[in-house]
Amino acid sequence: MPETAGRVTPMAVSQTSTLVSRTGSWKYIRPVYQDRLAPCIEACPVGIDIEGYLNLLREGRVEAACDLLLRENPMPAVTGRVCHHPCETGCNRCQLDEGVAIHAIERALGDLILETTPAPVFPAAPASVGVVGSGPAGLACAYHVARLGYHVTIFEAASEPGGMLRLGIPEYRLPRRVLDRQIDWIIAQGVTIECNSRVGEDIPWWSFLSSFDAAFLSTGAHQSKALGAPGEKLGGVESGLAFLRRTNAGERPSVGQRVVVVGGGNTAMDCARTALRLGAEVTVLYRRTRAEMPAIGEEVDEAEREGVQFVFLAAPIRLVSANGRVNAIECQRMRLGDPDASGRRAPVPIPNDRFTQPADTVLSAIGETAELDILPPEIGRQGGSVLTDEYGGTSRAAVFAGGDLADQPRTVADALGAGKRAAIGIDQYLRMIMGRPLEGPPTAELRYGKTGNLSMTRWRRDDPVSRTAPVNDVVRYEELNPRHFTREPRRRDGRLGVLESRGGFGEVNLGLSRDQALEEAQRCFNCGVCNRCDVCLTFCPDVAIRHADGGYAVAMDYCKGCGVCAEECPRGALVMTREGL
Amino acid sequence: MMGNHAVSWGAGLARAEVISAYPITPQTQVVEELSEMCADGRLDARFIKVESEHSAMAACIGASAAGARAFTATSSQGLALMHEMLHWAANGRHPVVMADINRAMGPGWNIWTDQTDSLSQRDTGWVQLYCETNQEVLDTTVMAFQLAETLDLPVMLVLDAFYLSHTSEPVDIPDQEAVDAFLPRRKARYQLDVNDPHSFGALVRPDAYMEMRFQLQEAMGRAEAVWGEVEADWARRFGRRYGAVEGYRLDDAALVLVTSGTITSTARFVVDRLREGGEAVGLVKVKMFRPFPARSLRGLLGGAERVAVLDRNLSPGRGGIFAEELKAALYAGDGFPRPDVYGYVVGLGGRDVTPEVIEGIVKRTWQASGPEREDLWVGLNL
Repeated sequence: MPETAGRVTPMAVSQTSTLVSRTGSWKYIRPVYQDRLAPCIEACPVGIDIEGYLNLLREGRVEAACDLLLRENPMPAVTGRVCHHPCETGCNRCQLDEGVAIHAIERALGDLILETTPAPVFPAAPASVGVVGSGPAGLACAYHVARLGYHVTIFEAASEPGGMLRLGIPEYRLPRRVLDRQIDWIIAQGVTIECNSRVGEDIPWWSFLSSFDAAFLSTGAHQSKALGAPGEKLGGVESGLAFLRRTNAGERPSVGQRVVVVGGGNTAMDCARTALRLGAEVTVLYRRTRAEMPAIGEEVDEAEREGVQFVFLAAPIRLVSANGRVNAIECQRMRLGDPDASGRRAPVPIPNDRFTQPADTVLSAIGETAELDILPPEIGRQGGSVLTDEYGGTSRAAVFAGGDLADQPRTVADALGAGKRAAIGIDQYLRMIMGRPLEGPPTAELRYGKTGNLSMTRWRRDDPVSRTAPVNDVVRYEELNPRHFTREPRRRDGRLGVLESRGGFGEVNLGLSRDQALEEAQRCFNCGVCNRCDVCLTFCPDVAIRHADGGYAVAMDYCKGCGVCAEECPRGALVMTREGL
Repeated sequence: MMGNHAVSWGAGLARAEVISAYPITPQTQVVEELSEMCADGRLDARFIKVESEHSAMAACIGASAAGARAFTATSSQGLALMHEMLHWAANGRHPVVMADINRAMGPGWNIWTDQTDSLSQRDTGWVQLYCETNQEVLDTTVMAFQLAETLDLPVMLVLDAFYLSHTSEPVDIPDQEAVDAFLPRRKARYQLDVNDPHSFGALVRPDAYMEMRFQLQEAMGRAEAVWGEVEADWARRFGRRYGAVEGYRLDDAALVLVTSGTITSTARFVVDRLREGGEAVGLVKVKMFRPFPARSLRGLLGGAERVAVLDRNLSPGRGGIFAEELKAALYAGDGFPRPDVYGYVVGLGGRDVTPEVIEGIVKRTWQASGPEREDLWVGLNL
């Protein structure tokens, strides 16, 4: 230190630069930027990089966001309307204020795509795939197979494509013109659909199977379970699916004044709200309580809002008639007992506790079964479903299956997911038989997280998003730093008023405007993925973090390993590690 | 405009770049007005909300160290809370400017004017400038930045609670361009630079610490002269000037009142009235308290027989602080005459100091044969 006043600075500032003090030698842990997985991605049965496209929207890159979405999901305009959106339940933001409205954002993008995005066309390889059934599973498989560069034809028994999307879901949830445009868009990418073609009847199986190098079976589950109660054959008693098939085709049958719908799933809700629009008072009869209902929560809310009555803990014993037509249901009151195989508490009859529910029309919607007899006998099956491996492979080589036909949850999203998995399986198989086998990533690496669906982008190895040291584990809320986020309410979908909703079949949910969707996307935490927010750079006490190559670089000569950056990172994209020290 | 807004306008015209403050009665309007100026774009400053005055001063010091022109305002308990940081600002040679609205220290909880808060901080190394009118407040705020940045010392400008802070007086607001010509952007001598990192405020051992303090004292020693230059420049441009000290009707004054803050304007009125009655009374206004303008005061008071100092403050165990500092200044053995100094403690906690109170003090001072105590309290109801 200087000895005389003449050489002392008036301010206590070091005369040499502090660069000579390499405090990096003090550390025993160091920060690593590591892109991890957001829980929404793992929760999605389709397997969409949701956080990825929300981040692109946050950056204002709408086209890139749509592209990322379409890599995994062939029909966002449809899923954005009818999906049961488990992504939203898993969203980490739920633990701060309200989860991000991913479903509504997807719908806004889906509609935008139909308006503005031309269908891309892909060069075709010398191999072809045949698909049976044009429901969501078949459409998804065909879509992905076409994008992988194969010829693909779908055979559809009905006169129009769509499967359950057209037959089961009413227009006020999924307008016909949206469905038609979405399917046309898929067709424009190189998918051929032959309607009025029932494989196994119009076209023999041997003919179908020999015409294609690989096949995908997705005939769905369209047979309604019987009520199993006397009087089921009376006039005015109909399966819910058969009723919806008629009304979704445009029929407006007379249902009398009082309609009773038996069941608690989406089909039951669709029947109930349709019957309401035909002018009846509607009561839903369900043998458990609202908490156990398998229907999507919003569907039940909407039904209630529109005036559907609910009678819980009741099951039909007998259908009572007058003049050959049903006029009442004798019902058994139930209570909840121990959990059954589904994990839900089983309904147990209360002895001698009965009541009568008047009804002019009874619609049964207690579940569907798949028609397996139409399939070739060598396709392995068990307990009412076709047996498949994780890529949809069946017991017969070159034949894959998925959707409601297979043993998986019966949702549109799961069907889309199955179609994609089978497309990957088909690609593996066709490359092998064409003599160009591909050593793809192992299934665990294709899968998002531990329980998510497989990623087509990972299979194709052409990820447009650049990632830093990606790992496949999911970020929990506890690993985020919520102090960096301000509470902001979730944007709410516009919707028709109750009277207008009930009065017709116009779309009830009006969704978000494009601006609202973009604003809502800003609420995404971008869990686990660095989005260049600069918090780490700002908080580093050693000023050891700088911008570099579109991301950050840590000056390891000076980083003391204090861990403030990792602690502050709002989204858990930074971890402290001992490795490589 | 009210005195608080005169502070805001002063800081705005001076183009303060970083403002960090915590609200306290009666300062709040200073910061409210500044935050509105920032919000609607009239002032291009970064406003940092903090949870305490200690943090406010810490933020100002950090900003100042990074080369920004930093400003804050506080009062009473808030000023006391930032005490540790006041030392840091001065010892670190950071030219932060702060407005202190003189308010009594509690308990008892008292929001009215009293100088004990700012005077308690007289040893922290801040220049202290007291104001008599709202015009003086606005002018002093702008000039404070020039003084601070020339000396690399923090400057505190002080105004009375309510009498100035909340009272509207006519204030001439200089043009921004004219102020820019008077006060250009700050060019810091040393500043934090991540591209050339140095250590700021780190360890200084006994072999250099005294030299640093000597330099601080030396800078304080230049402050009165530099203030004179700054005021001369301001006077040339805007036609107004206040001085570190001001003498009023001192010719042949046998008894001189010494005041600061708004008591000064009441005292001027009393001096005029007493002069009309033939009394040889004069007034000295002390504007600069730190550094204490000892030499100037000795010069102004040399001809008086009796000096009555009005202290709206108290150092318990000692008495009024202006009186104490003045007596010490008069004691400096350089041959100047030493009038009798009568110290009066008045107006604590905002108690009104009326012309009658001051006239009573003058009468008492004429009649006494000598100062019988270090402190004479006026107007107690015991």
